[in-house]
Amino acid sequence: MDKIKLAVYWASSCGGCDIALVELGEQLLELAEVADLVFWPAAMDFKYHDVEQMPDGYIDVTLFNGAIRTEHDAHLAALLRAKSKCLVALGSCAMEGCIPALANIQGPERALRRAAVETPTTDNPTGVLPAPCSALPEGVLTLPQLGAQLLPLGDVVPVDYTIPGCPPNHDQVWRALQTVLSGMLPSRGAFLGVDPRTVCDQCSRVREGKVHVDRFVRPHEIIPDPDRCLLEQGLICAGPATHAGCGALCVKANMPCRGCYGPPDDVDDQGAALLGAIVAAMDGQSDAETRRVLGTIVDPLGTFYRFSLGASLLQRLQALQMGTSPCLHAKGEEAHV
Amino acid sequence: MTTGIGGDRDFVAEVLAEPGGEHLLTCMSCGTCAATCLVHRYEPSFNPRLVLRRAGLGLSQMVLSSSEIWQCSACDLCYPRCPQRIHISGVMRAIRTVAIRQGYAPPGPFPEVDEAKCSGCAVCTRACPYGAIERAAREIDGQERSIAQVDPTLCQRCGLCVAACPSRAISIAMSLAPFSDGELLLRMGAGGWLDRPGWLAGGQGEARILALVCQWSIHADSDWAALDGLQSDDLRIVSLPCSGRVDPAMILLALSRGADGVLVVGCAEGECHYLRGTYQGRGKILLLAQLMQQMGLPAERVAFAESAALDRAVLPRLVRELRTRLEALAQPLPTTAKL
Repeated sequence: MDKIKLAVYWASSCGGCDIALVELGEQLLELAEVADLVFWPAAMDFKYHDVEQMPDGYIDVTLFNGAIRTEHDAHLAALLRAKSKCLVALGSCAMEGCIPALANIQGPERALRRAAVETPTTDNPTGVLPAPCSALPEGVLTLPQLGAQLLPLGDVVPVDYTIPGCPPNHDQVWRALQTVLSGMLPSRGAFLGVDPRTVCDQCSRVREGKVHVDRFVRPHEIIPDPDRCLLEQGLICAGPATHAGCGALCVKANMPCRGCYGPPDDVDDQGAALLGAIVAAMDGQSDAETRRVLGTIVDPLGTFYRFSLGASLLQRLQALQMGTSPCLHAKGEEAHV
Repeated sequence: MTTGIGGDRDFVAEVLAEPGGEHLLTCMSCGTCAATCLVHRYEPSFNPRLVLRRAGLGLSQMVLSSSEIWQCSACDLCYPRCPQRIHISGVMRAIRTVAIRQGYAPPGPFPEVDEAKCSGCAVCTRACPYGAIERAAREIDGQERSIAQVDPTLCQRCGLCVAACPSRAISIAMSLAPFSDGELLLRMGAGGWLDRPGWLAGGQGEARILALVCQWSIHADSDWAALDGLQSDDLRIVSLPCSGRVDPAMILLALSRGADGVLVVGCAEGECHYLRGTYQGRGKILLLAQLMQQMGLPAERVAFAESAALDRAVLPRLVRELRTRLEALAQPLPTTAKL
């Protein structure tokens, strides 16, 4: 049998998904027996023009990790889509924006200023910001333009399959690769390398089911009982609203689930689902008590949508508002025209 | 009180033997419960005193075949006021249990659990104000799993569990059953009203408001009739069993389609038919508004408002107030802010 042609690319990502592939360890040797790597910038020396010269559909499978933040990311997404028979979104960034999408809350300009000027470890006395085009005595430096919003891969090009996780658990990556290599693929659009239902299905902690939390806490504030449900101890555990697949790794380490495997099947907005689960767990027999209990949640947006903001209805609303913002402020002026 | 001559003594004994039913015969028919009863305010035909009286007299046929035994929403406002300290919703539950045993069907549809999707996460058991959902260990495909189960004798069909389930594993399975997700979307005007351009996005007319209203806030037919003139291209009124039935994703969906604002109307404090249902509704709107604000979206676009049991004409005012707040969003910015 001919070897399949495999490509791996990273766009806006931290590199953790590439590490997850390297974590396959000896299984990489098995992979090398059945697959030729034709492009993997993080691990091997390939150039973009190598890809550009490939005929369309030349690559059998591309594992694309990272979200689409710059026009360069979008260009590579389109290029690899054209060159690949099967495009797989690998990891939470490509699937739903992940942590980088949290920059959408305040927008790209604020993110740039934070990253290039304000962080405590940055020494930038003139406050110079990276720009698409910088004229210097030595010549002109160019950088790709940032998009108004960071987007998941599927918002830019059609995606065939998705392997969730931040990063995906390497066992799940291996299972997904075996599925791809076997050719016995599920219907297009499916998740690969996941288990049915939610993290709670894989969590062995005791859930009382009646406890009502009167104060939500963050992990550094308590030492949780290792045998009891973390949500019932007041920690915001995303387990009930998170697709199973990781084997409940974080909760086994006595840390609440952060939600990196994305929403369960048939749920579009993970944060909204988690919000419902959190409100159901709260105490509150009056308006004031409800406000007090929910007021103990620090940064609800970043907590409920830590990984899925980029694929959320909130992001869609923000995009609509950006598209219509002139209108938002022009209504009252129409009368004067 | 003694059982009436010729009454069905077996029935009385059966109710007395049920947990909660033991106080049936201590009722002295003073009617304090009816004077307090929230359901009675909307459905004058429902009178807990009469139900207890008839049951105590052993009028089994009359009691068991009536719709009234299913109407008590166990809000328990009457409990602390009863001079005989009868837990009336407990007696009602005992009567229901007997009714179900004798083959009478509670009016459904009840929420159903999809075993394939249920993770046993216990979110629904926490959401249920009545303890009507328990998790049971089941062996499915050779795997020991914990699955939620709904007890129809305790379930009041408030829908809090359906809204809370993060896996969408618990639902009113019957297609387009009242208050199922599909039916709510239909009444929200999916494909029609909901998908016309919003006013903030440059649509015509006034700011378009979707009002999700607790069924107890505008319950009587006369209340709905009064709203007939109010419903328009710019206002859609959708009733929910309880404000706690609101699903935050559904609100975000409505806002991303054609609604400029979503108004959720629930019971006043201490008047919720479903115990803490109104607080779950408020909590969800509170957090949703906070999320929108953090995201740089106007939090005015979602609002929770109270409607007390006898506040019949409050909705037009609430809609007007929200519309004013929404239309203020589109006012030209002060000159200083433009610079």
